[in-house]
Amino acid sequence: MKRRSFMKSLTMGIGIISFGILPFFMGRLLRPTIKAHESNRIPLPGALKNIEDFERSCIGCGLCGEVCPPRCIQFHKHDGGFVADTPYIDPVQKSCTLCGLCMEVCPTDALTVTPVREVDMGVAQIDRAACYPWVDAGVCGACVSICPLGSSAIDFEFGNFYRPIVNDKCVGCGQCVEVCPEPSLPINIVRRELGTVAQHGIGVRKVERGQRGF
Amino acid sequence: MYTNTTGHTSYTKIQWVIMETKDLHATSKLRHLNKLRWLSLSIVFIMLVLLPFIHLYQTYEAAHAYDLLTPTEKLISDTVEGLTSPFVNEPEELSVVKGNTWSGTLFGLKLSDPLAVVGQVMASLSLYWPFIITAFIPVIATLLFGRIYCGWICPATLIYELNDSLAAWLRKAGLPVSRRKLDRRIKYVVLAVGIVLSMYFGAIMFGSIYPPAIVGREIYYAIALGGFGAGAVFFLLTLLFDLMVSRRGFCRYVCPGGALYSILGRYRIFRIKRNVETCNDCAKCNVVCQFGLDPLQDNFGMECNNCTACIAVCPTDALTFTVNTKDVPFQGPGHLGHKYRKDKGDKT
Repeated sequence: MKRRSFMKSLTMGIGIISFGILPFFMGRLLRPTIKAHESNRIPLPGALKNIEDFERSCIGCGLCGEVCPPRCIQFHKHDGGFVADTPYIDPVQKSCTLCGLCMEVCPTDALTVTPVREVDMGVAQIDRAACYPWVDAGVCGACVSICPLGSSAIDFEFGNFYRPIVNDKCVGCGQCVEVCPEPSLPINIVRRELGTVAQHGIGVRKVERGQRGF
Repeated sequence: MYTNTTGHTSYTKIQWVIMETKDLHATSKLRHLNKLRWLSLSIVFIMLVLLPFIHLYQTYEAAHAYDLLTPTEKLISDTVEGLTSPFVNEPEELSVVKGNTWSGTLFGLKLSDPLAVVGQVMASLSLYWPFIITAFIPVIATLLFGRIYCGWICPATLIYELNDSLAAWLRKAGLPVSRRKLDRRIKYVVLAVGIVLSMYFGAIMFGSIYPPAIVGREIYYAIALGGFGAGAVFFLLTLLFDLMVSRRGFCRYVCPGGALYSILGRYRIFRIKRNVETCNDCAKCNVVCQFGLDPLQDNFGMECNNCTACIAVCPTDALTFTVNTKDVPFQGPGHLGHKYRKDKGDKT
């Protein structure tokens, strides 16, 4: 009677409360432990130039990530809004190898098949105040030796064996960023109009997307 | 199958039912369709789990770095290699099946959800034909069979049906499981609002609230990219909605894809029809129908997802598939039922 109905409502209440707080704990479990670098996100190879056009065309199916051999394509898993579930590449974690599988597999026109040398993901930008060979004539050359496009994209300065210079054929795949041993990351992928050499000094101190300010 | 009943006027109703169910056993082959459907749903779901593991294996092979893998990664690599090596020579050959039910590649054939096509066309306001033709086969299937995607392929349906079994179990245990009836037209409003928002904002709004897309994507995130995304929480909330508000409530009342498929399947060719001569008004079909349809009154409508649970449960094989673009109007009580017999003047 009394006790029975009390037990029943107690069970019911506990059940409802546990179901209700389930999403909370789920959210706690889903919370990323390490926050991704917002500034290092670059578009995919062959992506539409305008980011809004890309959001319009991408349906968020995840096929590009599922065929990517180096598994460099990440998705906006925890981000809402219009970018939800759209792909990006974080070259600091893992960079693109320009294999072109994502462009072939994309069902929409978000990624269009582009020849390797016409891909435009950005351009590598070297911060000469942080790069070993530029600062103190150190011995490195990792970025030049890893570059898949060779000397037309990145090369040593004339007459110097180790100071890297980014040339205009760079497509911004980001392998130099991934391989760079310097922890302060003197090399970054930025938009093409920002140039291949990081600008410092009074008046040009801007923290742009993909560029670290001092 | 059914013998003359005029000689048995002294039996009670219960005895009648017992007698009838004794000599009427279902023999139609169509009742196995439900098992076939569960097989199809399971295959789709297992593939969705398997494909990310295959992708992991492919990336390990592409990196040529087996010795650098962690023990867990080695286990994944060895398991997938053992599973797939009888069928393929190179790991690259496994790429013939990729993607999920939102959009995928199946042996060179690109298939997409019609809702993805509608959303993309509305968001970009342009027609990209290579993408639009990927939805051709699903649309044809929907025009023939109605919401067949919902019943036979959708990976969320598997979880929702298991969730419905959980609801039945909870109800048996004494917990209140709500079976509220809402208005079916809500989902068309969701579809329309989604289309308008997609056009206005220029981004596809359906992908983040459409359970099959969420399920396929979240399984991939969880296995290959190291954790669930935000969609998992939304999917969990829809499961709670089904438990606490309405039976299969999300599919029936909210799902925009279900709305689109319902519209496309409005004049579907293949329909389930009740054969009034062999129906005994047992109403098992109405109880088993998770979509809350009314097969007993010949009222299937555009929402039927061809799950064939009613065919499987029917004790007298009164439900069959027919070729017809419209439901028949109510045919009256079943000829083996008590009401029909009473109307005929039979005392039993």
